[in-house]
Amino acid sequence: MTTQRTSGRRKQALAAAIGVAALLTTAACGGGDDSSGGSKTGAAGFDAANNKVAQADLAKKGGTLKFGAAQDADSWDTTRGYYGFMWNFSRYYSRQLVTFKTAPGKEGASLAPDLATGLAKVSDNGKTYTYTLRDGVTWEDGKPITSKDIKYGIERVWAQDVLSGGPTYLKDVLDPKGEYKGPYKDTTPDHLGLKAIETPDDKTIVFKLPQANADFESMVALTSASPVRQDKDTKSKYGLHPFSSGPYKFESYSPGKSLTLVRNENWKQSSDPIRKAYPDKITVNIYSNANDLDQRLINGDLDLDLNQTGMSPQGRTTALKQHKANVDNPVSGFIRYAVFPQSVKPFDNIHCRKAVILGADHVSLQTARGGPLAGGDIGTNMLPPGIPGGEGQKYDPYQLAGANKNGNIEQAKEELKQCGQPNGFSTTIAVRNNKPVEVATAQSMQASLKKIGINAQIHQYDGAQTAGIIGSPANVAKKGFGIIIMGWGADFPSVQGFGLPLWSSKYILDSGNNNYALIKDKSIDSLFDQFNATLDPAGKEQIATQINHKIMDGAYYLPFVFEKFINWRSDRLANVYTTDGYSGQYDFVNLGLKSAS
Amino acid sequence: MTAPLHEPTAEAAPSAVDEAAVASADAKAVQGRSLGRIAWDRLKRDKLALTGGVVVLVLIVIAALAPVLTSLLGQDPNEYHENLIDPLFGTPTGSMGGISGDHLLGVEPVNGRDILARILYGARISLLVGFLSALVAVVLGTVLGVLAGFFGGWVDSLISRVMDGLLAFPQLLFIIALVSVMPDKLFGLTGSSVPVLVMVLVIGFFGWPYIGRVVRGQTLSLREREYVEAARSLGAGRIYILFKELLPNLVAPIIVYSTMMIPTNILTEAALSFLGVGVKPPTASWGQMLSSALDYYQSDPMYMVVPGVAIFITVLAFNLFGDGVRDALDPKGSR
Amino acid sequence: MARGPRRGPRAVLAYLIRRLFAAAVMLVVIITVVFSIFFIVPKWAGVDIALSFVGKQADPAAVEGVRQKLGLGDPVYVQVWHFFKGLFVGRTYTGGGDTINCSAPCFGYSFRSEQAIWPVLKDRFPVTLGLALGAALLWLIMGVSAGVLSALKRGSLWDRGAMVVALAGVSLPIYFTGMLSLAIFVYGPLKWFESDYAPFADDPAQWFSAMILPWVTLAFLYAAMYARITRATMMEILGEDYIRTARAKGLREGVVIRKHAMRSTMTPILTMLGMDLGALIGGAILTESTFNLPGLGREVLLAIRNQDLPVIVGVTLITSLAVLFANLVVDILYAVIDPRVRLA
Repeated sequence: MTTQRTSGRRKQALAAAIGVAALLTTAACGGGDDSSGGSKTGAAGFDAANNKVAQADLAKKGGTLKFGAAQDADSWDTTRGYYGFMWNFSRYYSRQLVTFKTAPGKEGASLAPDLATGLAKVSDNGKTYTYTLRDGVTWEDGKPITSKDIKYGIERVWAQDVLSGGPTYLKDVLDPKGEYKGPYKDTTPDHLGLKAIETPDDKTIVFKLPQANADFESMVALTSASPVRQDKDTKSKYGLHPFSSGPYKFESYSPGKSLTLVRNENWKQSSDPIRKAYPDKITVNIYSNANDLDQRLINGDLDLDLNQTGMSPQGRTTALKQHKANVDNPVSGFIRYAVFPQSVKPFDNIHCRKAVILGADHVSLQTARGGPLAGGDIGTNMLPPGIPGGEGQKYDPYQLAGANKNGNIEQAKEELKQCGQPNGFSTTIAVRNNKPVEVATAQSMQASLKKIGINAQIHQYDGAQTAGIIGSPANVAKKGFGIIIMGWGADFPSVQGFGLPLWSSKYILDSGNNNYALIKDKSIDSLFDQFNATLDPAGKEQIATQINHKIMDGAYYLPFVFEKFINWRSDRLANVYTTDGYSGQYDFVNLGLKSAS
Repeated sequence: MTAPLHEPTAEAAPSAVDEAAVASADAKAVQGRSLGRIAWDRLKRDKLALTGGVVVLVLIVIAALAPVLTSLLGQDPNEYHENLIDPLFGTPTGSMGGISGDHLLGVEPVNGRDILARILYGARISLLVGFLSALVAVVLGTVLGVLAGFFGGWVDSLISRVMDGLLAFPQLLFIIALVSVMPDKLFGLTGSSVPVLVMVLVIGFFGWPYIGRVVRGQTLSLREREYVEAARSLGAGRIYILFKELLPNLVAPIIVYSTMMIPTNILTEAALSFLGVGVKPPTASWGQMLSSALDYYQSDPMYMVVPGVAIFITVLAFNLFGDGVRDALDPKGSR
Repeated sequence: MARGPRRGPRAVLAYLIRRLFAAAVMLVVIITVVFSIFFIVPKWAGVDIALSFVGKQADPAAVEGVRQKLGLGDPVYVQVWHFFKGLFVGRTYTGGGDTINCSAPCFGYSFRSEQAIWPVLKDRFPVTLGLALGAALLWLIMGVSAGVLSALKRGSLWDRGAMVVALAGVSLPIYFTGMLSLAIFVYGPLKWFESDYAPFADDPAQWFSAMILPWVTLAFLYAAMYARITRATMMEILGEDYIRTARAKGLREGVVIRKHAMRSTMTPILTMLGMDLGALIGGAILTESTFNLPGLGREVLLAIRNQDLPVIVGVTLITSLAVLFANLVVDILYAVIDPRVRLA
């Protein structure tokens, strides 16, 4: 009698909950259009802006472009920002000598002159780069931007003790011995004491490299090479209000909350071949709840996600089922993978590494990452397809997307035998606790490895302390992290921009290490050196391919996916396209609105 | 509604006269029976409380027999069934979260693990954490609360300030900091036993001041009451007063608080799992299931409903039982 | 044990001074513990906090700069001393040719967002206060009235029904009830409420509209607890001799309840309110994050995610102050409501 009542109530609760849920899913939005060729709402269609321009002719001048975000930038200071979306967004208020072309897809990863009149004149066997500045380029107060401003902006990279966080490639390449102490400790009267950059006049800037570097111009295109005016440099506080050289300037900024940019009246379209500057105003609102953010996007309150890391599972399901015309499915340029530190036994043995690679269920890992659309294609090697020399799934040495995609237990056991561990072994998988998707992949690995007798325990660590926990080889060895789950994207599209910190023996650091596998292979090191001395693109591509093959031969990594994500664009957006220059993100700087209201 | 719900209504809300009559009748009966006996007799009459108690017992049995039950069902809580998952969305194929003859409560999104099996196994963790941490808090809170309230003076000041401090202390920070030092082995335990033990201790440790303050407050106010004063003036010793007069009066608030703590603790366990400090994957717990279901609250509502209902039933059962025990133990016997 | 009754303004003043002193000591202890947790505990685990501030390319100069600015080289007690000194006289952070002034009251300086913490706290505090007071009012009304009614109609359909609803509130996490209510009342079929927060001073209507759901969600969680405690206490008190006496005197039931029973029932309720109001920061973290309210809870969650230690310490200090203050008020109210309780 009593149990009856309980189960009755249980059924009621079930029914109520299901009823509410059904109501939500059906009534959430008045039914979108699934066709991929545009929709009633005006959205351009599924994948219409992926590697191509959608609705370019509908863009009007004016209006407010509304970004939403789940996370603020690390810093809006051009020297300190390292997040991909920050580099993308910074083009609204900062210009560089050269920058990525405002073009969709692969072309967007090539360089075009911005403040400079053209790409660099390279001389002295690739050791001297000379640029001339364009006429009419100005700061937000109308004063002209000079070569000295650019030099000072770049010098700030040396002041790491005050301006930490950003990429240091320019410092490493221009001053490998660390002789210059940065502008704040510079004793020359104009604080422009860096010897590697010369500014013979206000219009000319010359970079003198101690050693040639094939990617140097990509480094000059980084946001950290933006000009900064000395009298406006507020040092560590600069990120709160960067002084604009672009078409928009900071109106207000409250960290972690909101940011508003308005037109910089002193910017002249005629001086800028890159930026179209359609909207009058750009707002960013930061939300603490990713599901809420997605709801607002779907609801039309916001135009797009600033973070550009894809929608959350709930949001993307609704979007794909009801508003397919509003989403794109670009490749992000990231590879998600597991890596095997050679300092942890038995991963010093290549056969044990191969056993894990072959034994894992790659379809299951792909599903854990979000499936073929939100996760990406099964990763088969360690060079993203968008990078010159990357071959995509065509290069699949372990048949991860082919014959072995569900794991090959026999071959894996064979490898285990050769490794001297015929009955398997125990190990630990280290994974960040703030990335549910990574924890899911760890569990998938755990489940499939169990079938070949490998007993893996999952260790979750504080994601904010990545650099100190898995970035410390001593700690990794001590804790016995045989498998580390991570992801990586290129800082600029080349094998160097992607792989140097991961695979070069010079980049094995005591802390903040990224060469988790502890690869010390002279042939790989020398390939990187060769790459830097090679100037023709075809030769560079070939070396990139070679490096990738070496890495896969060594079985240091188990790639999960060539990452893709589901990205939302509102009905209001025009001139939308994804660009490889910013890892498959929409090119922010030229987004327009269909109406000014 | 069904009959049992009306039943208590009949005996509810007696007029002042009725109540007094019942009370005096009770009072006569008291002469010959022990306190426990009276309470048991009263409890037996409270159908709802008994139901609660039975459900609690069943839950404990389920938790204890989880491996047997799941093997009877032919399901393993950690086995993947990805063939039941729509790879595009990560949600189960089929209606109602993939409910089928094999999977009576459906399967989890993304990996297709059997929800019923995970609920059964999850009961172990959730009940263990909920129950043991409440126990830790109740024991600490009662002992220290009574000491503070009864002895007063510097004892009271010291204990009260410690309670203030603990209450004012941001628990979450402590827990976050624990992430970085959570060992893989502790007191010879490994695997998920380590986080479970740590959770029990941490939740219990931060929970006792809640009970402690209430018990102290009650003790303070009871201490001044006539019957304690009377006992004191009759020359009764402190310890005697403590046990004979105060403790029975404290039982009611303690029971109410502890039955309230259990669900709160289960939810805290959920929050901890959410932060990655909870049980280690793939171990199932209700809290972990509830947390991960948040990402599918519209696309696969069943995934959230099942652990939600499990927690709800547990909470309800504990509370109904707790209320019944409270009423039964009520020394003034207002029934 | 046998103390004479001490009354009068002097006794109250002495009591207050003692309690305030104890609160100050407590704050120092709490801040020290928080510092220790974030500086010493990671050290045990062999983790360098400075590393979490320097990004992907951990330049040694950057790590050293962070260490210097955060004062990580100093022992914990020195750091705590600097912190408290900064509260009263302000402080200056120097390192790498950069000087940052943080004027009194300096609650610290965030090197993550490069701003002093005090203005941020001042900006966020009213939001959390509004959330806490509104929700507390709601759950008091809901909880106490449900509890009283349940106690009076004990065992009735109403009693059981109210309890089941209340318990449903306790069984569900805030982020679940929050998301569900957002989906229904903001985006969903019923677009009743605003989703964007506006300060009360700017737009009272929008403020109210944006706060309703957070209030209800948060109150839902606590109301059950209050209803049950009220019910239990009320029943206890209804069985007391003095209530019987009052009834025997022929007082009407309503008067008995209001004049006599309610007064005693409020003692444990107040205790709880004191604790809960102060400790609400835990609930505020989840509520504010779910509803995107720019309050202290959301701020501290961000800070935890970013390892922004100074913000965590600043928020901790403010919330600890709130708890200690609330408990002090409660203890004083105790004595006012229940004359039998002496000031201890």
